[in-house]
Amino acid sequence: MAIIETEDLTRTFDTRQAVQNLTMHVEKGEVLGFLGPNGAGKTTTVRMLSGIISPTAGHATVAGFDVSENVDELHEHIGLLTETPGFYERLSAWENLLYFGRFYAIDAESQAAIYLKRFGLWERRNDKVGTFSKGMSQRLALARALLHEPDILFLDEPTAGLDPKSAREVRDLIMDLKKMGRTVFLCTHNLEEAELLCDRIAVFQTRLIAMDTPENLRSSLFRREVVVELESLDDAILTTVQNLDFVETVKRDKTSLILELQDFDRNRPALVRAIVEKNGNITSVFEKKHTLEDVYLTLTREEEEL
Amino acid sequence: MNRRNSAQKRITNVMKKEWKVVFSDLNSGMFVTVLPFIIMVQALVVLYLVSRYAGPAALQNTILRAGMEKWLQVFPEISQLSVAEQFQVFFMGQIPYYFLLIPTMIAVSFATFSIVEEKQTRTLEPLLATPVRTWELLLGKSLAGLFPSLILTWIVAGCFLGMIAAIGWGNLIQYVVNRLWVVSLVLLVPLISFLSFMLGVIGSSRARDPKGAQNLAIIIVLPVLAIVIMQLVGVTVLVGRTLLFVCMGMVVLDIVFLKAAVGLFQRESIVITWR
Repeated sequence: MAIIETEDLTRTFDTRQAVQNLTMHVEKGEVLGFLGPNGAGKTTTVRMLSGIISPTAGHATVAGFDVSENVDELHEHIGLLTETPGFYERLSAWENLLYFGRFYAIDAESQAAIYLKRFGLWERRNDKVGTFSKGMSQRLALARALLHEPDILFLDEPTAGLDPKSAREVRDLIMDLKKMGRTVFLCTHNLEEAELLCDRIAVFQTRLIAMDTPENLRSSLFRREVVVELESLDDAILTTVQNLDFVETVKRDKTSLILELQDFDRNRPALVRAIVEKNGNITSVFEKKHTLEDVYLTLTREEEEL
Repeated sequence: MNRRNSAQKRITNVMKKEWKVVFSDLNSGMFVTVLPFIIMVQALVVLYLVSRYAGPAALQNTILRAGMEKWLQVFPEISQLSVAEQFQVFFMGQIPYYFLLIPTMIAVSFATFSIVEEKQTRTLEPLLATPVRTWELLLGKSLAGLFPSLILTWIVAGCFLGMIAAIGWGNLIQYVVNRLWVVSLVLLVPLISFLSFMLGVIGSSRARDPKGAQNLAIIIVLPVLAIVIMQLVGVTVLVGRTLLFVCMGMVVLDIVFLKAAVGLFQRESIVITWR
């Protein structure tokens, strides 16, 4: 069941089109990675989907509520982590959470206590937020976004500017949310993070370039390649490999061969046999894994060339 | 599950937070609580010094003479007092307008401080993603400024009268506390406080820091001072129809500036244009 649906969602600022005809759907319980370069319109999309700004054209529903018409109801069902956490620095963590929590019909005190403990901030609850590190503020912002147990979370660059340990903690929290079945709309530049956390990836640059699982995006862009690493690589082995009728392309990289094969899984053993028969000392054989970064860069490059 | 609190609870929540934030800052807290008493003491000192050392002579051949004469026409009951006492009553009659500076400055301070604070700490966007409506937020903020303005102005007015009695002019209080005092404190104080707050909101939407916003909003002080000066020099005395027109004009201005402030305080404006 789609919990976020958009159709031709468009937002223009004066003459500049920030989001153009975005049509997509996100399933309940899914973690969607929303990737794109700076200024691609990711934050504008999040703001539209969270009912903070209106679309210029098209429409969207989130948790069944129209983002333009039912903003008040919508806000009861979403949690938003903005790119900058944004807290009243002279107030304590506890006071900040209670303030935001009291806009909902929840027991703000007990919810704040649950999430402060959950995110390791209970001992610092009475400290002013102005004294918090960036990682602590980010965890507090996540606690704020979760206070009212929203169905959908919009996370805008949740690990931006965090040190590796804090970033890891935030990623673990998102993993936990995923396990809890929350729908997460994750805007990020961090492709490793997206690969690790997301069920599907949307590559976005003013318009939606591609949206699928990381695996499907890879296979749609790249053919499978096998890498054979040898102790040494001579011309006899190279010629033999090039003459195999199931080998489509061969690239040489020092003492390694990178090959595209017909019927990849069936012909891989034959390839290895042929190299061994030519006295090739194979040190390893593996399938080349294209990273999400390869996928992203290829897609955005193609978009820029259009 | 209904996850939304009532509008009243949300507005109260905003007010409480505003008070916490404003009074947790030494400068803004001191400004709000000490300034009214400084204004009162200043009025008392001027009144005492003028009465003691200039007295009725201040009325002879000065610009104040016309004001005093107009005052006597409007309040003939004070003509039975001595010239010195008439002068004291006339002078004290300006005090409620002078005290309008208190709600003006407190409201402007509250508005600019609380809104620019939100801009500086970038709290408005997460706030706008909660079920609080923009009008509730604006109302909560303006009430947070309005209540201290009213209460402090009334306390200061009470203290002023107490001090007058303490100085030994208690017999004049019955001439001082006239309908003008009551209308000013009950009607003009909240109206001008509200107007000042809205000007503060408008100023804050353009300014980057509270000082910049206050500079834009403090313009409201000028008409208040103009009223005091006009009365002192006898251009007018704000009673009867004139006072009614001033109050009605203030209501109209409140509505106009409320609309302007609400227009600026829309979610889109805040997120896109407020920097």
